[in-house]
Amino acid sequence: MLEFIIQNNIVCHAVEAMLFASVACAILGVIITQIQISSIGFTMAHAAFAGAAFGMFLSLNATLCAIAGGVLVAFLIGPLSDKARVSPDTALGLLFGISMAIAIFFIAYMQTLGRGFSAMGLLFGDVVSLYREEVYLLAVICIVAILFVAVLYKEICGIIFNKKIAESVGIRVRPIYYAMLFVIALTVALCLPIIGGLLLYVWLVTPAAIALQFCYRLSSMFILAPVVAAAISVSGALAGLEYALPVAPLTAVLFSLVFVVAVALSPKRRVTFRKS
Amino acid sequence: MTAADPVIEIEDAYTAYEGADRPTLQGITLSIRRGEFVVVGGPNGAGKTTLLETINGMLPITHGRVCVCGYNVKGDGVPVRCRVGYLLQNFSFDPLTPFTVGEVVMMGRYGKIGLFRKPGPEDREAVFRSLTLLGISDLADRPIGQLSGGQQQKVLLAQNLARNPEILLLDEPFSNLDIFSREAINRLLSRLAGEGVTVVLVSHAFDDLPDRPVRVVVMMDGRIVLDRESAPGSVAAVIRGASGIHA
Repeated sequence: MLEFIIQNNIVCHAVEAMLFASVACAILGVIITQIQISSIGFTMAHAAFAGAAFGMFLSLNATLCAIAGGVLVAFLIGPLSDKARVSPDTALGLLFGISMAIAIFFIAYMQTLGRGFSAMGLLFGDVVSLYREEVYLLAVICIVAILFVAVLYKEICGIIFNKKIAESVGIRVRPIYYAMLFVIALTVALCLPIIGGLLLYVWLVTPAAIALQFCYRLSSMFILAPVVAAAISVSGALAGLEYALPVAPLTAVLFSLVFVVAVALSPKRRVTFRKS
Repeated sequence: MTAADPVIEIEDAYTAYEGADRPTLQGITLSIRRGEFVVVGGPNGAGKTTLLETINGMLPITHGRVCVCGYNVKGDGVPVRCRVGYLLQNFSFDPLTPFTVGEVVMMGRYGKIGLFRKPGPEDREAVFRSLTLLGISDLADRPIGQLSGGQQQKVLLAQNLARNPEILLLDEPFSNLDIFSREAINRLLSRLAGEGVTVVLVSHAFDDLPDRPVRVVVMMDGRIVLDRESAPGSVAAVIRGASGIHA
């Protein structure tokens, strides 16, 4: 898609993948951070990681298995906390622990079989060996995330503001909330091979946290967060490939640096007083 | 629907919170007509808030029938909630909440607007009207998290008024409000009741009730123990008497 700017195919695919993944994660990250379900994103990332590891072990499609893992966790959180009479926080802790255990088990087992290297790519991400179809899939999920927010914007606003108030004004909270979890799970699973299970959380949380330093309106956050994420991710990809550095970890460090600068420059922390 | 027709009809209703061992409301039967002003009183834990959430269709009805504005709440609560305003108790918002007052009040119309549709001029007009009614139109562009507790309370009341409700369910509407705001809201509620809006109010601030006869419903342990008309100024005594609580 960007071949007319970047001639090198590998660099072009890497930049495109980082661009689409970062925009999708940043848009959904605004929802995740504002509903304060960051731990759900975190758990989904690890469930997708476990699913992919399981898929690799059985020589199945890792991406499909990652999607299955993420979606399964999305739909287990509610029933688990209801049926087991535990708080959602405890349910997430349980699912996170189980996901990690499954992932580590299969990675360790594959290492004993001499197949550990391919699974390790899921931990730290890999933007170099991407197929064109994978980039297209990321473009699709990016469009899905944008459309999801654009079409259900007012309902999402209501749920972010307060779930109980949203329900009381006549918004059908439960189906929209589950649809939200499904899109997050799908995005997390598709971004996993590029960003890696350990770093995905940075893409989900940091752009929204940076945008929150400057925005007083949710609509502004939905614009600023993906713009910032895209700029940082593309810069990270270009710099990483140019200087032969690991792309995803380098970009994660860049995100953290930008966040620190954003906090320092945030007008929300400035105290102004004028004597009239 | 005439003024004599009940807008809220509850018959032998039992409701329970998810996971609860026993129903919170037990065998409630209540009929409220259009334009009535009802004050619900009783000690803490009596089931007052549960009654409001049952009327609004936010709790599962395990037995009995609840009919609001002609809709059976048990089947689908959404059409009911589009017609009923419900002010929740004790709300405060984080200073970083990324919504302005205007946006929060507009949310009150989201159920009426429906899925896949954007707010139109009629919705913006309703928002402006309710902000003006509450005297907070100058706050429309301010982030809600930066307002005082009393101002936030008014914003949430404006949110409920914005959907032109047939019924207003108010849970502790006077908390956080100064004396001038309480008087202004009392006048507003009396006026709305006069215009045919049914008001069901849960409050412990009985000195701040409107200067008009009201219907008093007293609850204890999830049951209604008293239901009668009361003159202004005697609501507190009626509730104390029925609850067996003496000053």
